[in-house]
Amino acid sequence: MMESSDELLSKAWTVISEQLKPSASQNEDQLNRKEFCEAWQTLEANNLDYIVEEWFIETLQQDLRHRIGPLFWNFFKELENQTENSAYIQKFVESVNYLYEITREYRSCINLLESVSPLGETATSKNISSLIITFYKAIIFYTYPETFLTSVGKYYSEAFRVFHHINTESHDSGEEKSPLCDGCQIDVSTCTCQEIMETFHSVNKKLDDIGVLEKVSGAAVTSIVHSQIESYINTNCKGNFETSYFEHLEKWLDTKVLGWLNSIYAGEKSHNSISAFRGRLLHFLFETYANARIEQLFMIVIDYPESEPAILDLKTCLEKTNLRSQLMSSLRKALEDRLLHPGVNTTVILSAYISAIRSLRVLDPAGVILEFVSEPVRKYLRSREDTVRCIVLCLTEEGSNELLDELWKGQPLVLEDDTCSDEDEGDWETWMPDPVDADPSTTSKSRRASDIISMLVNIYGSKELFVNEYRTLLTDRILNQFNCDMDRELRYLEMLKLRFGESQLHYCEVMLKDVADSKRINSRIVQEMALVEQKMDIDINALILSAHFWPPLREEKITLPKEMQKSLEEYTKKFEALKGNRTLNWKPHLGMMKIEIEHNGTNLSFSVSPVHAAIIMQFQNKARWDVEELSGVLQMSVSALRRKITYWQTQGLLKEEVPDTFVLVDEVKGQGHEVVMVEDESESAMASAQQQREEELQVFWTYIVGMLTNLESLPLERIHTMLRMFAMQGPSTGEVSLPELKGFLDRKIREQKLVYYSGVYRLAK
Amino acid sequence: MLLDQFNFHYISGWTAVASWRWIANDENCGICRMPFDGCCPDCKLPGDDCPLVWGQCSHCFHIHCIVKWLNSQQVHQLCPMCRQEWKFKE
Repeated sequence: MMESSDELLSKAWTVISEQLKPSASQNEDQLNRKEFCEAWQTLEANNLDYIVEEWFIETLQQDLRHRIGPLFWNFFKELENQTENSAYIQKFVESVNYLYEITREYRSCINLLESVSPLGETATSKNISSLIITFYKAIIFYTYPETFLTSVGKYYSEAFRVFHHINTESHDSGEEKSPLCDGCQIDVSTCTCQEIMETFHSVNKKLDDIGVLEKVSGAAVTSIVHSQIESYINTNCKGNFETSYFEHLEKWLDTKVLGWLNSIYAGEKSHNSISAFRGRLLHFLFETYANARIEQLFMIVIDYPESEPAILDLKTCLEKTNLRSQLMSSLRKALEDRLLHPGVNTTVILSAYISAIRSLRVLDPAGVILEFVSEPVRKYLRSREDTVRCIVLCLTEEGSNELLDELWKGQPLVLEDDTCSDEDEGDWETWMPDPVDADPSTTSKSRRASDIISMLVNIYGSKELFVNEYRTLLTDRILNQFNCDMDRELRYLEMLKLRFGESQLHYCEVMLKDVADSKRINSRIVQEMALVEQKMDIDINALILSAHFWPPLREEKITLPKEMQKSLEEYTKKFEALKGNRTLNWKPHLGMMKIEIEHNGTNLSFSVSPVHAAIIMQFQNKARWDVEELSGVLQMSVSALRRKITYWQTQGLLKEEVPDTFVLVDEVKGQGHEVVMVEDESESAMASAQQQREEELQVFWTYIVGMLTNLESLPLERIHTMLRMFAMQGPSTGEVSLPELKGFLDRKIREQKLVYYSGVYRLAK
Repeated sequence: MLLDQFNFHYISGWTAVASWRWIANDENCGICRMPFDGCCPDCKLPGDDCPLVWGQCSHCFHIHCIVKWLNSQQVHQLCPMCRQEWKFKE
């Protein structure tokens, strides 16, 4: 009995072990199966069935390690020095086929084994086939040779190209066909795309059957998809800011990329892994797109508002990705690198700043990005001398620009210092907290303010600078260019008043009223003259200023020729008659005179300052003047006179025959019949800043004289401290620094009003 | 010779610039201490809108200033400078 059972057992074992050999089970049939089942039952009856499983797994492992693995990797050994793409691809397909054959042999054994062995009996693995797959992964794919990875990569890239080609072929038929097929890159006539696709599907199917599809292809597919996304974005979206790519990209990802992925993993059981993968890819897509946009953000900002679609895309991307801080620092750096150096005009910087304000408002309504990014710009603009002038010029320029449009909106100015508490901010339901990276020291409201003019004014933080600059420019327009369109100026003033407040612009209002009043007075005087049938020798059109409301005007000494003087006096008389108790102080050096000159039979007309006219007038009586002599007649300084004569020299009317002697030129060369020349505009009607400062310092002079009379002699520091104590208290007097005071006192020494001796100043006797 | 060739023809137009001022014996208004050529603190526009007036004592003020002053005086209307009775100069 014992013997027979032993015999039975060994017989059963032979049957089973024979059946479970991969080569043997090739021709599996019903008979074998029956035999196998009987053998299995015999073993099971003796509680030996577990041995079979263990034996099988052990054999398989041995086989994998010693036979299959090395054979499989052999395919790739020969590739070491290969450069041909096709060789890699070829080998990959062959190796997959080989592995598939092997596993197919085993599969029938496994099926056989699984059919008899109850599932779940061994706690370690759920079933044998999944255990076997683990073995494949662990024993064969525990390490990759370099060539294997390249093969996989090349194979899948080619497959992607072909897939892409096949799927787009239909709609780009209009394009010129190149002799090579886009997909397989061989001649179109012998295009093998379809075959490639077929083998591709079968390779994937086989890998999937083996159970190592994801293991083998995963990394390669991911990197191909990533690089495809990158190159797609780079070729399609770069440089074009005027279209939104968002939906387009998403659609592209869904149809092209995911379509391909689906075709690879079609057989995979865990199909939902693709939808999870889609989320990751979408994120990657957004991130890549956002990166591409951030890289070019400077250009996008400059191109605003044309580039609004790009900004909106970026906004959506920022909501989905974590690139905000990168965006901020890269844009800030781009602005610094490209704008903030001496080679860029202030107007250019300003317009860039304005577009930055406008575009970043769209990108980030809370204004945090703008605040951070524009900080160096503001700081830099503050250091530029002509910033205020540029801003004011932009505001008052003819035609339309962004700032003007802003101005016409007519919102009151929001300055940084007049902030309200956050509580009274309108609608609590739509309230949004500030982003985490916001600077807590500024209020959210000041950041959210979208008014560009306020932002510009806030570069300096004070309205006065701008109002003063506007006043200066207005004066310039009225007194130097005489081309001021009153209606327009008044309209501007009204708009500016809305922005900057009445009180600030009060002076300018008076200035414009002066111009209007002057016109009235002129016409009144002309009318009155007409009544008594009188006519003035010279047609005077006076601009009568309220001196206190204009910026300090340039002073210049000159005595006009008698006939001119007489006309002015006449006009003054008329004015006095018109406005009781008031009189006029003429500023003969300002204004403009239209004169006609007949020279050698040619009529020339000029528009020049009265000083120029007075000079040329002198040459009517005498053709040759010595500079000294002429300056005596006109009572103006020689240097000023020389400057003015230069103008007539450039006009070719005068020449310096011998040093210091000017004569009329006999023949005028550039004979224009109507030569209208306006005086060079470099000379402003206003006193220069230095002259103004000098006047301010003059206030201190009385104090200094007082001190030195009482205390006889004082060192510089004492004078400064005493001035600080007594003279610089009031709001009207400004500060004076020590070096400035020293310069002032030095000038007084030169004027011989002071004496400096052994470190102390004294009054000159 | 040269004189025949050159002729300063005429001045066809002259935009001259001047500033106006009150003919007064002082710079500033004795009441508001603002310059006469400016305006009193209540006014915005100088000149016609904020004229000066003279008293018989020859002192002058912004009209708004002196009127305000006179209105505030209970009994006698005196010039704030010389304390004589204030009478407008005709």
